[in-house]
Amino acid sequence: MDASAGKRVRAWRTHGIIALVVLLVLALVPVCSRALPVFARQTGQNCVACHAGGQFPELTPYGRLFKLTGYTIGQRTIPVAVMGIATASDVHNTSHSDDPSADFQKNDSLIFASASLFLAGKVTDNVGAFMQVTYDNYAKQGSDGSWRGHTSADNMDIRYADRFIDPDRDIIFGVSANNNPSVSDPWNSAPAWMQYVPVPSPTSSAFIDGAAPYTGFASGGNIAGVTAYAFWNQTLYVEAGGYGSARGIASFMSAGVADAEKTRLQGTNPYWRIALSHAFGAHDVMVGLTGMNADIYDDPLDTSDSATIHRFHDIGADAQYQYLLDPSTVTVQLAYMRDTHHVPAFLANQPVFDVDGQPLANTNASDRTNVFRAKASYVYAAKYGGSVAFFNQTGTTDSALYDPTPVFGNVSGNPGIRGSTIEAFVTPVQYLRIGLQYTMYDRYSGASHNYDGAGRNAGDNDSLFLYFWGAY
Amino acid sequence: MVREYRLTVALAFAALAACTNLPRSRDLGNQDVDGRVLAEQVCSSCHGVTGSAESPNMPNLAGQQKSYLVAQLRGFREKSRQDPAGYEYMWGISRNLTDRQIDELADYFSTQTLRLQRVESAPEHIEAGRSVFTGGVPASGVPACIACHGPDALGTDMYPRLNGQHADYIAKQLAVFQRTDQRPEGAVMKVVAHGLTPEAVENVAAYLQAMPSLATAR
Repeated sequence: MDASAGKRVRAWRTHGIIALVVLLVLALVPVCSRALPVFARQTGQNCVACHAGGQFPELTPYGRLFKLTGYTIGQRTIPVAVMGIATASDVHNTSHSDDPSADFQKNDSLIFASASLFLAGKVTDNVGAFMQVTYDNYAKQGSDGSWRGHTSADNMDIRYADRFIDPDRDIIFGVSANNNPSVSDPWNSAPAWMQYVPVPSPTSSAFIDGAAPYTGFASGGNIAGVTAYAFWNQTLYVEAGGYGSARGIASFMSAGVADAEKTRLQGTNPYWRIALSHAFGAHDVMVGLTGMNADIYDDPLDTSDSATIHRFHDIGADAQYQYLLDPSTVTVQLAYMRDTHHVPAFLANQPVFDVDGQPLANTNASDRTNVFRAKASYVYAAKYGGSVAFFNQTGTTDSALYDPTPVFGNVSGNPGIRGSTIEAFVTPVQYLRIGLQYTMYDRYSGASHNYDGAGRNAGDNDSLFLYFWGAY
Repeated sequence: MVREYRLTVALAFAALAACTNLPRSRDLGNQDVDGRVLAEQVCSSCHGVTGSAESPNMPNLAGQQKSYLVAQLRGFREKSRQDPAGYEYMWGISRNLTDRQIDELADYFSTQTLRLQRVESAPEHIEAGRSVFTGGVPASGVPACIACHGPDALGTDMYPRLNGQHADYIAKQLAVFQRTDQRPEGAVMKVVAHGLTPEAVENVAAYLQAMPSLATAR
């Protein structure tokens, strides 16, 4: 079979699967419209009560109070929900590659990407939980090219909360045990929540919006921490706590994550958050600051020597504006984060040579990375929506980043990535969202042209991404 | 070791499950929770702790007629009130409320004082709405609102208070009455509102919302 015939067959297969999914969805509509995911079952309310315009996970003001009061509004119910995501990614130019089948795995193919199981909901009048376990259908690839799935712990947030409210005061306070800094945060410009479509593992999805720069803490998830928070008169929010490695009784918070892939932290690593919120009419605004210091061992399998620790200082600012008046939902989110990375001595000031054997500058002792992201979205009648987003990552040039690998390499040593995303989506029933995103790059790995030294330009990574996202 | 660990966790959860916090409970399935507690812990999240809702997406409840509040909560609970505001937000919240809790909730909100809120509409709409409220639209067969809802639109045992209600909420509910049968308890309004144009709806809603401010200015 020649290449074009193969492409045609793949295209027909893709169309066939899409048609099948649509048919399945339509067949399921009457079932879905009578059933509810776990929090909706608990309160008996429609998704739009807590999720702005029905866009999960973005929360409405009421959704934020539901979360901050420990997921305890409503009545206990079967605490289980499931979520599944089918996707198709298309990278604009796959020609600048030595091995397209490896660099753009599953390109143009509709795949069942991942599924999550949630154990969530009210436990007592003061205790509730949100625990997510995710199955990645393309977690590993064998030497024969076959894929294997894998299940591991995802976001987890178990909390105790109380609310003292009367006409003169309103104080919510609580404690959260969680595994991902800011997963406890009620605003969706916080790092754990701004990125909302999970990124499929095959490399064809390496350039979709979810894989483009978002603000985030260096520690990532799969750690364990306790934070305490208070929300005063729905105006001032403060949260502080500490994180360590997920070990001992907290090891379930990184269950399923291979030891070599776990984040190993030294000691207790401080996290803090402060935000000001104000509602006026149908408008709701928040401005906030956040930060975390993380001391991370270079090798998760060897935590014997503190001289191998990377020290990260992250500080961020974010803001969110919402306008919620049926049938319109408008959201604008801004987020910025500055990451300072102090490299352990044995990795600093090391010589690096380019492909021709010519010496480059020695590696840095510390690096600075800045990420800015802005997003605006509009949803009509909790059904039809669209968004535009802009992202820009800048940072210190460091020869440690030098990598002459085609497609995923970086010959400038600069982490700069800049681009934008447009998206349209439809939510035909409240448990299903179908979205189409197009992400465009004008800078990648620090350059617009020939960023990998093999002739690939930033614009070659422009990607189209289709997703079907269902929850039940 | 593992068995001990599991037992400890199981016992901890059993102990937690037995915990209730009646003075500050958000449990909508516990019929022992007082209506006032539910008003503060749950209803306040959208309607404000004293029934003055900041968002025009949610109706003000402060100073509303008790009989109307009882009828609406029962209508939500029995799913006879079927407009989107009802089924999206209120069906679930009210599904297990007892008659006692409904009575206490209605008592709580009906005895609150509506906070003076900013005027939501332009003066020309408010002025035009005044004539609809006081004189109706005779040419279209629309009677004056004042006849049932009272000169200050504070309502009676039989009719709800409209004074100070969010304009957007009034306009949406008038559309529900005009175009649907989703609020059978308000069937009389289908006839009353039938002849209202969208402009007249906007105007009368503007006037009703501005009434507390107009009274203060006098």
